[in-house]
Amino acid sequence: MTTVERVRLVGEGVDRVDGPLKATGAARYPNDFNLPDMAHAALVRSTVAAGRVRGLDTAAAESSPGVLAVITHRNAPSLGHGPDTILSTPPPPLQHDRILHYGQYLAVVVADTAEEATAAARRIKVDYDEAEALLDMHDPRAEVLVDPFKTDSDRGDAESALAAAEVQFEAAYTTSENTNSPLGLFTTVAAWDGDTLTVHDSTQWPGNVRTALARVFGLPENAVRVLAPFVGGGFGAGLRPWPHVVLAALAARTVGRPVKLVLSRPEMFTGTGHRTASEQRVRIGATRDGHLVALHHESTTTLQMEGDNFEPCASGTSYAYACPNLRTRDTQVRLNITWCNSMRAPGEAQGNFALESAMDELAYALGIDPLELRLRNYAEEHPGLGLPWSSKALRECYEVGAERFGWSRRDPEPGSMRDGDQLIGYGMAGVSFFWFQQPCQASATLREDGTALVRSAVTDIGTGTYTVMTQLSAELLGLPLSRVAFELGDSDMPEGAPAGGSGLTAGLGSAVQSACHNLVRAFLDIVRHDHTSPLRGCEVDEVAVADGRIFRMGSPGRGESYTDLLAAHGLHELTADGAATPGTSEELGIAPAGAFGAKFVEIRVDPELGTLHLERVVSAIDAGRILNEKTATSQILGGTVGGIGMALFEETVTDRDTGRIANGTFGDYLIPVNADIPDMQVIFVGRPDRFNPVGVKGVGEIGLVGMSAAIANAIHHATGRRLRSLPLTIDMLL
Amino acid sequence: MHEFEYLRADEVGRAVATVAGDPGASYLAGGTTQLDLMKDGVLAPDRLVDITRLPLGGIACDGDMLHVGAVTTMEELAADRTVAERLPFLRQALLLGASVQLRNMATIGGNLLQRTRCRYFRDPAVSACNKRLRGSGCAAVHGAARMHAILGASQHCIAVHASDMAVPLVALDAVVRLLGRHGERSVPLTEFYLLPGDTPDVENVLSRGELITAVEIPLLAPETRSTYLKVRDRASYEFALTSAAVALRLDGGVIGEARVALGGVGTVPWRAPAAEAVLRGAPAGEEAFTAAAEAAVVDPFTVEGTAFKVELAKRTLVRALRTVTAGAP
Ligand SMILES: Cc1cc2nc3c(=O)[nH]c(=O)nc-3n(C[C@H](O)[C@H](O)[C@H](O)COP(=O)(O)OP(=O)(O)OC[C@H]3O[C@@H](n4cnc5c(N)ncnc54)[C@H](O)[C@@H]3O)c2cc1C
Repeated sequence: MTTVERVRLVGEGVDRVDGPLKATGAARYPNDFNLPDMAHAALVRSTVAAGRVRGLDTAAAESSPGVLAVITHRNAPSLGHGPDTILSTPPPPLQHDRILHYGQYLAVVVADTAEEATAAARRIKVDYDEAEALLDMHDPRAEVLVDPFKTDSDRGDAESALAAAEVQFEAAYTTSENTNSPLGLFTTVAAWDGDTLTVHDSTQWPGNVRTALARVFGLPENAVRVLAPFVGGGFGAGLRPWPHVVLAALAARTVGRPVKLVLSRPEMFTGTGHRTASEQRVRIGATRDGHLVALHHESTTTLQMEGDNFEPCASGTSYAYACPNLRTRDTQVRLNITWCNSMRAPGEAQGNFALESAMDELAYALGIDPLELRLRNYAEEHPGLGLPWSSKALRECYEVGAERFGWSRRDPEPGSMRDGDQLIGYGMAGVSFFWFQQPCQASATLREDGTALVRSAVTDIGTGTYTVMTQLSAELLGLPLSRVAFELGDSDMPEGAPAGGSGLTAGLGSAVQSACHNLVRAFLDIVRHDHTSPLRGCEVDEVAVADGRIFRMGSPGRGESYTDLLAAHGLHELTADGAATPGTSEELGIAPAGAFGAKFVEIRVDPELGTLHLERVVSAIDAGRILNEKTATSQILGGTVGGIGMALFEETVTDRDTGRIANGTFGDYLIPVNADIPDMQVIFVGRPDRFNPVGVKGVGEIGLVGMSAAIANAIHHATGRRLRSLPLTIDMLL
Repeated sequence: MHEFEYLRADEVGRAVATVAGDPGASYLAGGTTQLDLMKDGVLAPDRLVDITRLPLGGIACDGDMLHVGAVTTMEELAADRTVAERLPFLRQALLLGASVQLRNMATIGGNLLQRTRCRYFRDPAVSACNKRLRGSGCAAVHGAARMHAILGASQHCIAVHASDMAVPLVALDAVVRLLGRHGERSVPLTEFYLLPGDTPDVENVLSRGELITAVEIPLLAPETRSTYLKVRDRASYEFALTSAAVALRLDGGVIGEARVALGGVGTVPWRAPAAEAVLRGAPAGEEAFTAAAEAAVVDPFTVEGTAFKVELAKRTLVRALRTVTAGAP
């Protein structure tokens, strides 16, 4: 069979297989599903951040035109709790009168039309017993969670090494809350048939939503089916089964009709999670010639009152550089805020801003080129595990990126490079992304017409999963692309991994590889004792596949086509399952590497008006094997745009006194527009990864990481000003 | 959404009579402000009278006066040749506003009457908003303010008038033509808007049901130089943090006529007569520009989030003056 060693690093940039469906509008997103006799739901949200519901006047809503039901904590049935997986499921809604955050759901109104439901929902009057909300992460009353992710690390003697260091550096950095803001408003369409439930949902993980709904409603798992063939983006927002999903299903059961619930944009801001704010402190001890001797990174992020959020900002520093003495600390503070949740590059996005700004500051303090400083502290092996990396081409990222960018043209003196009245800034940052992979399953079927169908209950949230898995399956089965279909987005399919943590392609790719190998093995099994078959007695590692045929390795003439094999044995199709669980570093003797990258940016600052214009961005990325050059490049470009948003624009503002999201609309919460986006170049370097059977490391998030630091570093280069708080806005540059 | 009746007006007088006689009725032009506010639950009219089919469109030039019908769209006005030639800063202001999709819907009358972007005004879950409910207070003063006013503002209200187009229009001494139940009248745009004082809910001099039928815009003399500078957080599709509309006539390096207005900083589009007085008769140069900027931004009312706008507004005006005088003989 084809092995990783023989594949090219960068796979062909074939067009998206689902492109025509999307371009013609034939791709159906959750919001595109309308069922016969469907009713519509609208939500009532708390307008206080803490306290209790004293009174709920639903009379006017109940008598509003078209209203079928009004469900509140007073008449809602008792519901079970969803699973706690990599992220906990929020508690089921409407179970009590307690309010823990602004925007918490207090009622759901079901009516014949969405307009009627919304109008009636507005007629519900809520009286509160308001309690004082904890909204400030420095509030001494707030609960502090120490080492909540069990990722804190210590190496050597970080305190003494810092105290004894020739050069000491210390600075504090802050980042703002950001909101994922996928374009597709999250939608749930729920329909019951007796005791079985079918749900169309905007999710990144159908299997998890199925388990959650089964537990909430006390059903066997196979009584729930979750469908998400197309999802209008997620950026992490679709990783948890949110309370509105439960409410849509509850509404449908209550009125005995299918129910559709589409969140509004303001509801997206309070109901589908956000990237937490962070406050971080970095302390570095170094020798005068730029060798790190001590590295301290502390981070505090915010957390909602119940449940968890995986957001380690400091821990990534433990493997970013070779440094004998290290200490990382992550803490969380519980507040009466809306749910915190993964947003593209959780933890890493914030942590990298602090670390890579600090490295730039240190470079200036030492008079060493920032790129050179990073190379002097290059971690040749995994600093925590002391094992060789499964793959690491960060040095190549630096070198190729710098070359392409023209870093050598940079005059290090701040304010020295100009274009008329505009100040020019060059900035860079390095990125060592975390490794993440989840178990995954897939199935592969070959049919008598010679086509293959490969399936897994995963999602393609716009990343290109349909396309790259079609390519991979075609390669593994030796079929042309046009003969392979990949299906996903249905919880009845083999259990899929979440589209998160940049781990889907690695996990799913491994499962698809396993399924395809098993399918070839199944074909070999049917001819195992067939004396007429040239493949008789062959093992899977003795054959190769091409052009719809299996043949003995090295002897293309000695084989049979899939269709002949099926026909000869009277089969319409043959199916095999595959499963993959990531290995461990103990087994493999190598440290699993995430992607690596180097970001280079050029900016212009108008020193009088404080305006900043990005000129260009070069991203050099080592993500192991790239399955499809086009879709992978798009991921890096999209990530870079997200990084520009985080660096320059995005800030979810919470009212200090009420906990209300003060800018929860697209008119108020700024994300970049085309005019803000410069020329962006992406270069892939490195080799297929050795930890992952397919050789991939994932490209979903790394594109975002490093942008904030690279821009802040470029601002320092342009203006001499060091900005340590995101987003970097005009008022800071005046 | 609250249920409402939609009427398409076919005659101007009847449209006015309908809206003037019904406190639950509102005009609907492009709808880009009106419908948004209805969806947000800020406005809940029982009846919308669509005026876009009324004969209130068209742009006509009469000597040195441009007559612009109220339902002319922003894109139509921006594309007009006379505007391009004789009112270049108006064209700039139009094209720097909103997006092309919005500008194809949005009308000139509606633009002048667009409501503030203040998120405390636009979210009925916020109870303290003097603009929505007189006497209820102002949440923005203690809240997250950035896109808010520093001129004409007070504890009662810091909502900005966000129109870009209105900034050059107040500088130009444009006049709005109104038709009400009691007939027609003309009001200079500089007198059309009312400072919020302690009644921020009253934004202009319109009486109930009074309709803007047209805007009359005096053309700039051919030798006048003008520019509109808009400073904003992102490069397009965003309201101004600060802006400046400037039109100057230079005579051998000395400033003759000067028209100056500021945007993004005022509770109303902010004409700056004191700055104009400083400039008039002064040699074009940094000294006059800085003095004009100082004169333009007087007694600002700032809160934590808007304090930076004092300096930014001045620098914006200085830059606009420098730009407009650059390369002058
Ligand atoms: C996302 C977004 C971005 C925007 N960005 C900008 C920007 O950068 N710069 C900028 O200047 N503007 C911007 N705008 C505002 C936009 O320009 C205004 O919404 C638009 O000009 C309003 O015109 P309209 O015809 O749609 O008015 P409508 O929404 O139809 O009406 C607005 C109000 O005026 C009343 N009305 C309308 N016409 C008349 C009339 N002839 N006589 C009496 N009353 C009337 C209506 O009853 C209503 O109360 C933006 C708007 C949006 C939604």
